[in-house]
Order: sequence, then C-alpha cells, then structure tokens
Amino acid sequence: MELLDRYLQAVKKHLPWKRQDDIIAELRANLEAQLDEKEAALGRPLTNDEAMAWLKQLGSPIQMAAPYLTQQYLIGPAIFPTYRYVLQLACVWTVVINLIVSAVKIAAEDITSPAAWFEALQHVPFTLLLTAAWVTLIFVVIEYAVTHSKTKWILPAAPSAGWSPSELPPLEERGVAGQKPRSYSKAVAEVIFGFLFLAWWLLVPQHPYLLVGPGAPYLLALPYTFAPVYMQFFWWVVALNAVQLAWNGVDLLSGSWQRSHPVKHLATKVFGLIPLVLLLAAPDHALMILKHPALDQARYGGTLAQINKGLYQAAWVVFAIVALQLVWEIVKMSIDFYRKRMAAMG
Amino acid sequence: MTISENLFENLRLELRRGCLTLAVLAQLRQERYGYTLRKALAERGLEIDESTLYPLLRRLEAQGLLASEWREEEKRNKRFYRLSGDGEQIFDQLVKEWQAINASINSIL
Repeated sequence: MELLDRYLQAVKKHLPWKRQDDIIAELRANLEAQLDEKEAALGRPLTNDEAMAWLKQLGSPIQMAAPYLTQQYLIGPAIFPTYRYVLQLACVWTVVINLIVSAVKIAAEDITSPAAWFEALQHVPFTLLLTAAWVTLIFVVIEYAVTHSKTKWILPAAPSAGWSPSELPPLEERGVAGQKPRSYSKAVAEVIFGFLFLAWWLLVPQHPYLLVGPGAPYLLALPYTFAPVYMQFFWWVVALNAVQLAWNGVDLLSGSWQRSHPVKHLATKVFGLIPLVLLLAAPDHALMILKHPALDQARYGGTLAQINKGLYQAAWVVFAIVALQLVWEIVKMSIDFYRKRMAAMG
Repeated sequence: MTISENLFENLRLELRRGCLTLAVLAQLRQERYGYTLRKALAERGLEIDESTLYPLLRRLEAQGLLASEWREEEKRNKRFYRLSGDGEQIFDQLVKEWQAINASINSIL
C-alpha cells in the first residue's frame, strides 16, 4: 500500500539513524498485519479514504516516532539546581561589576549628564545575556561530559547516600518581631540599590548636579558653603553604606539572605544616628559658613544665622524620627524575645 | 479539551503507565510479536496505542526484561518478544508489589 509506505518513510525521517531501519521493519510488519486483518474483515482492500482514516488514527509521523527517541537534555536534572544557582550568582555579579566599572569610568571622564549614565548602563542587558549564554554553554559541556563519560561522577546536586540529617542547616528564624524572611529578589535589590546609592553619594561632592540638579551653578555662586562638619558627615555615610553593602553582599553569596540579623538591624539604626549627632554637635550650630567671612559677614551674616537655625532644626527632626524608629524596633524585639521565652518555658 | 479534562487525562495516563508495563510483561510470558500482543491486551480490555506499545517493547528489551528475535511467519519477517530470565524474576516481584498496592488501594477506597 503506497500510503503506508509514505507514512513509514515520513516516520523514518524522525527516528535515530542507527536504529531506524530496524524500527521501520518492525513497524511495517505490525502495521501490515493489522492492515491484512482489516482487509480480511471487509473482504476487500481499504479505500483511500479508509486508509487515510486508519493512518490518521495512528498519529502523525512525528507522534509515532517521538516515543522511540531517548530523552535528551541540554542540562539534566542532576546538575540543573547547580546550574540555576551559578547562573543567579553570575547574573548578580555581572550587574554589580558592570555598575562599578561604569561608575569608575564616568567619574574618571568627569561626565555629569544623566545621558552618560544611560549610555553606560544600556549595555548591561546585553552583558547579562552574554553571561547567561556562557554559563549555559559551560553546563551543557559538563552535562555532555558526564553523560558520555564511563567514569561515575559525583555531582554536587546529586542525592548522596552519605548525607547526615545532623548536617542540615539550623532552622531559619523569622525576622525581627515576626516579620517574614527576606526574599531573594529583595536581597539582590538591596545589594544593587545599595551600590547605586553609594556610587551616587561618592560622586555628589565632585558633581553637585547629581544632588541639586539644575540648581548646582546657583549653589556655587552663593556666598555660603558647607561647614567642615559636613565632610565628617559625608564619610560616616560612606562608611555606613559600604559596611551595609558588604554585609548584604556576603549574606547573598553565602545564601543566608533569609536569616534575620537582629544585631545588624539594630547596629545599622544606632550607627545611622552618628552622622546626625555630628551635625547636631557642630560648633555654634554652624552647618553653613560664609566663603569670605571678612567681606560678607555684614551683608549675609543675618541670613546665614537663619539658614543655620533652619538646618539645625531639620537635623533635630530627622534625628528624632530615626531615634523613635530605633526605640520602636527595640520594643518590638524585646516583646518578640519575651514571647519566645515564654513559649519555650511552656 | 478543558483544563479539568486535560488534568484528568494527564493523571489517567500517569496511572496507566506502570500498569501497562506489568500487563505487557504478563502477556509476554508467552512469545508474541507487536501486533498480536496489542490484540491480546485489547481483548482483555487494555487498549494501547501503537505509538505507545511498540516503543515500550524496545525500552523493556533495552532494560534486559525482554528478549527478541526476528522470525518469518506467514511470509513476513516479524520481531517476536518474550520474557527474559531477568524479566521473569522482576515480573514476579512486580506482581507481588502490584497485589500489595492493589489490596491497600482497595482498602483505602
């Protein structure tokens, strides 16, 4: 039957070439036996329509051939969890390194326009894709090597008979005062935005445009400037953010971003008060000073006093808000600690 | 096909998969070729598509549970399958397992 021959020919094209002749010979024998029986029951050969209906019932050539193919993976289930973990790490570090390089480049070239930032960052998605492609390629090669090697490989993600329940990590405690654990995306976002903030903060002294926008030229033309205490304030903020960024980065790399760090949480709040205390402790509450006191004291002295009074009051308000937050956190943590202790005592 | 029909079909296929292997092994205690095996299963109420049964025979043979040979019958070359020595042992174990599962499920249902 020509239609059956055409069907088998189409099936053959989808079969593995090493076994296709053998499989087709067997399929032919089975299908011809079925056909003989159908024709014997009818007492005549099948019509073209009947033959087409029969072959259609068998399924398309691809459907018929597919179950003969062995399951193939580019990256199999044994190494997939490792692949996903490495891919996530590689992507995070690609973004971080790209941002550092872009920031250094922009600072070195003394570029201040937002367009330059956009230009520097627009290649990040392409770099991410390239990183993902390389990581995937490496794991495809590993998968191929593992599946085609006669040596038995011990893969890190493979279930091991030698594991011990005592080696399981301790239960992750809930966050401060019963908060939900941080998600991975939130932890990654904290690292990225922490870095962006630090880069922005470090660039502000050289490029006031980043802080006050188009008002920067007017700021330079004013007879006032920041008091020396601002430099202490500036470097305290840098140090605090750098420590926090490093801490978050270590948490992310070590896979412990979900765990709560009550000490870290409180330390951040407490040390966050120090820059504000520095401002409040400035001699004579002088947060701004005259660039040329001898020349401008008579003319701008009164206005300067008003500005400093306003800034000092603003610093107090900010200090009060942060201090109240700290007190609130301590109260919540104490209540949480007390509840846990009572629960433990039964 | 609605979502629930699709879900039912997937679960039904999953449920049948292991049973088919057992049924095929049981039928191949006696030598058969593909089409007569399919008919024998159908006569006992177990319809199996050609695209499921014939590749399954290949897999079971590759696993060493079946042995096969090409032989001429009614002027046609056909591939006959039967349980291998290992296949017989594993079949006995699977039958015991099936009976235990069947009894448990029956008592649960």
